[in-house]
Amino acid sequence: MASAGSQVAELASKLYDACVNEFDPDHLFYQNDFLNLKVIPKNDVALLLECTQSLVNQNLFRLLQKDGKLTWKLIDREDAEKLRNLTPDEAMVYNVIHSTERTGIWVRHIGNRTNLHKSILDRCLKSLEGKNYIKSLHNVKYPSRKMYMLAGLAPSEEVTGGAWFTDGVLDANFINSVAGYIEYTVSRKSWYEVPASDRKKRIKTASGKVDVKTDEKTYLPYPHGYAGYPTVAQIASAVNESGITPVRLGEESVVQLLEMLCYDNKLVALGNGEWYRSLKSPDAVKANQSRKPPIEGDDLSVANKHLVKNGMTEAPCGQCPVFRLCAPGGAVSPETCEYFDPWLNNGLGF
Amino acid sequence: MMMSQCSTELCMLLIEDNFGELFARIFTVLQRYERLTLPRLRFYARLTDRQLHHGLSAMIQHHLIYHFTSLDDGNTYYEANPQAAYSLVRSGKILQLVETRLGEYAAQVLEAIMSLGHSSIAHLETLPELQSKRQRIPNGVNQGENTVENTVEDTVDGNGEKEEDSAAPNGNHVVREKPVHLHPTLKSLASHGYIHRLREAHFQSPNDNWIDASRIIASRPDVKQMKGKQQATEIEEKAKDLVKERTEGDLSRGLIYNGLPQGAKRKRDHGNSESNKQAPNGTNGVNGDHVEDEGEEDNDWSEDEDGVDSIPMDSNLIVRVNYEKLDVALRNTRFLDLAKQDAPSASVEIYDCLLRRIEYQTARCRDSYEIPREGEEGEQYSAPIQLSSIVEDVDPNLDLTGCIGPMEPSTVLNRGGKRPLDDETNGVNGDEHEDEPSGQNRAYGIDQHLSILSQPPLNLTTKHVISGLPTWRVAFRGLARKLRHLELERMIESRYGDVALRVVRVLHAKGKLDEKRLQEISLLPFKDLRQTLASMQTGGFVDLQEVPRDAQRQPSKTIYLWYYDPDRVCSSMLEDTYKAMSRCLQRIKFERGRERDFLEKTERTDVKGHEEEFLSEAELEHLRNWKAKEALLLAEVSRLDDMVAVFRDY
Repeated sequence: MASAGSQVAELASKLYDACVNEFDPDHLFYQNDFLNLKVIPKNDVALLLECTQSLVNQNLFRLLQKDGKLTWKLIDREDAEKLRNLTPDEAMVYNVIHSTERTGIWVRHIGNRTNLHKSILDRCLKSLEGKNYIKSLHNVKYPSRKMYMLAGLAPSEEVTGGAWFTDGVLDANFINSVAGYIEYTVSRKSWYEVPASDRKKRIKTASGKVDVKTDEKTYLPYPHGYAGYPTVAQIASAVNESGITPVRLGEESVVQLLEMLCYDNKLVALGNGEWYRSLKSPDAVKANQSRKPPIEGDDLSVANKHLVKNGMTEAPCGQCPVFRLCAPGGAVSPETCEYFDPWLNNGLGF
Repeated sequence: MMMSQCSTELCMLLIEDNFGELFARIFTVLQRYERLTLPRLRFYARLTDRQLHHGLSAMIQHHLIYHFTSLDDGNTYYEANPQAAYSLVRSGKILQLVETRLGEYAAQVLEAIMSLGHSSIAHLETLPELQSKRQRIPNGVNQGENTVENTVEDTVDGNGEKEEDSAAPNGNHVVREKPVHLHPTLKSLASHGYIHRLREAHFQSPNDNWIDASRIIASRPDVKQMKGKQQATEIEEKAKDLVKERTEGDLSRGLIYNGLPQGAKRKRDHGNSESNKQAPNGTNGVNGDHVEDEGEEDNDWSEDEDGVDSIPMDSNLIVRVNYEKLDVALRNTRFLDLAKQDAPSASVEIYDCLLRRIEYQTARCRDSYEIPREGEEGEQYSAPIQLSSIVEDVDPNLDLTGCIGPMEPSTVLNRGGKRPLDDETNGVNGDEHEDEPSGQNRAYGIDQHLSILSQPPLNLTTKHVISGLPTWRVAFRGLARKLRHLELERMIESRYGDVALRVVRVLHAKGKLDEKRLQEISLLPFKDLRQTLASMQTGGFVDLQEVPRDAQRQPSKTIYLWYYDPDRVCSSMLEDTYKAMSRCLQRIKFERGRERDFLEKTERTDVKGHEEEFLSEAELEHLRNWKAKEALLLAEVSRLDDMVAVFRDY
């Protein structure tokens, strides 16, 4: 019996080596794949079963089920070593986490699948994390869920939310800096900068009188149908070359950002998103970006200067917090309004 | 028309402000109870017969009240006309527009018609204020059409001296010119469509006109024979025609020459007006050098002035202000403002010419009574204008190429932002073209400018080729919608910041979105996003829809979708705007009450006009302050009216 056991072990290790040599590590093995290797004498199915079982026991094979058939997958010898050092509970947890690959798995789902008690599960996860086999991750879609994945894997786009998320949180500073860069780059290509030598003459012809401000650069729009506006690929490569991003941004990420800029009315997509054009000249963009955001307690009229205005935003009623309660003769009324006087004084002040 | 509380209040205030309490009282009663017969009206208004008759007849003169005598019961019903009441607030803006277009005198004529409600030409002839102004016209004989323009310039040049100086030597001229001057102005107002003929149907409300017309059509024997649906559609169609025929007051027929109304100020004339003034005889020669057909056209014009125009308008004709048409003109100025935002100056000038041409052919801002719902609105294009006629209108001295960059794509910018050398040569090439302007080139240049305007995001123009001829037109509905969105966006930006603006634009473009998707598109941190959404929801700008996934409607199993409904926001903003206007007017009233004693002194008949003599320095200062304050509040009302126009009229 002992010889039979050692024979099986020998055969099993032979089978394993053959599998590693013949197939790539992600291959899904069916029974026929093993038989085709001609390792098992006389294609004895019972013997094959014994071998695979022993490999599974050694954590060199992982038993899976597909379409109702038994299948196997290879496990590295190193990984097998890891697994062999684990307690059975830990191994079970490890396998579950392993099965979800780059998407990671929620703790509650692990519990459901392994049927382990919560305290045991926590202990397993703690020890696995301590051994640096798994790591926790943030999922953008479910920020409150505690999720785990294998330590060696990088989380998928779906989990991280793409290039714009750092640790599952939208990285606003990063986005703003890249957006600012893109806007400026696109803007430089969307306007024709009049060469310095020409400038004076051109202004003369345009308005019939000499413009005094010749220091300022003059920008002219390109004619309709101009084909030199930057494309997505150009913008993406410009961003990646600029060195402002730690990671290389894919075109999809850049498109996402470009669309956001379009919603900000900073860029305009032309030809179905093929080209992008900036609405502001580079100087205006620069001035806009260097402008500091208004600080609380700052003079409101100064802060408001940048905003576009209309009748409603100017009138005291447009800003009035109790506008809906206002009625002649009421507690809030045009006669007792406390906003009109400062507004009038402010208006007459200049 | 259903009147809201805010607009009713506003109309009442406007009438009270302009015509006093009696009118306001009658108007309020009619607004509150809708249609009333005289006895009922007397009962509700608690006025004496004398007051009521007096008030009603004057209000009918001003079109503030519709009246309709029913054939069934013989009663006459009175009904408020809120449209006319609201128009009062726009009068200043309209006069200003007419002044810039047709000169100061035309504005005065229009003002006279406006303050009379409607008037016969014969009556206008007798008005002293319209006659005194004729003295402003210098050497009117050889000036022809340019007189109107020159009056504007003269006022700038200091008309005070001129009035006194020129009156004496030119006295006989002036007297001879008197009737001729009023009539050409009236004609140019009429041909622009700013005034139109008063028709009997104008005294009846649109609904009465409609019912009346349907009844007449239905009683026709040929219609009576029809049945069911066919009859209904027939009645509707014919009634529409009949109403149109009855309310049609267009006076421009026969006065439009070459697609241009009389007295239309054109860019090229404007450009040359200086030389015109100095040497009126030389202008034709000078113009001839530039473009061949211009000299000939100018001659036609002067013929027109001397020949046709010396025929005065029918003095029995009764005219009134055509607010619908003026809205078109005002709307075009808004479009022009849009263009000014980032288009080069030459494009703006050309766009102005295009819009002028279109204005002459557009009777009203839209065909439907109410603004159609967002998304259900089909595009409605303006009349197409041929490129060649725009070329005619544009000032020949306008530099077309100087403000557009070269067509050839430049090589990629190097890192320092410096352009490679060959780029400069492109610029030089552009200049070379400029040196040889031929008709073809010019048309091409103007076409280029119009193309620039047609670009997104504004799409101010649309090209349309009709049987091989390039024409340009304007997509009115889309642009009007853009104006509306712009006003809303301004409010959102000022209230909730630019983050909110982005969110709203995303929601508007994509429809209903849940928070996660919204974040992915708008790339905003959750915290900011939620805060903005919540505050905007409180303000009524965005809304939340719950879609439960099961019958229990558990919050955890419910999808929440954010959406932005511009129609709803527009209508609530419109109400807010009415309310804000009312508040400003009420505040003026209140401020006036505060200063009552002082103001009564300044308004005494002996003080008025002689303020310097009777008032102390401090009082004068006080008066100036008060006037500035009043002007500020009124200016605010007029700014708010701009918004109302966008939300309601365009």
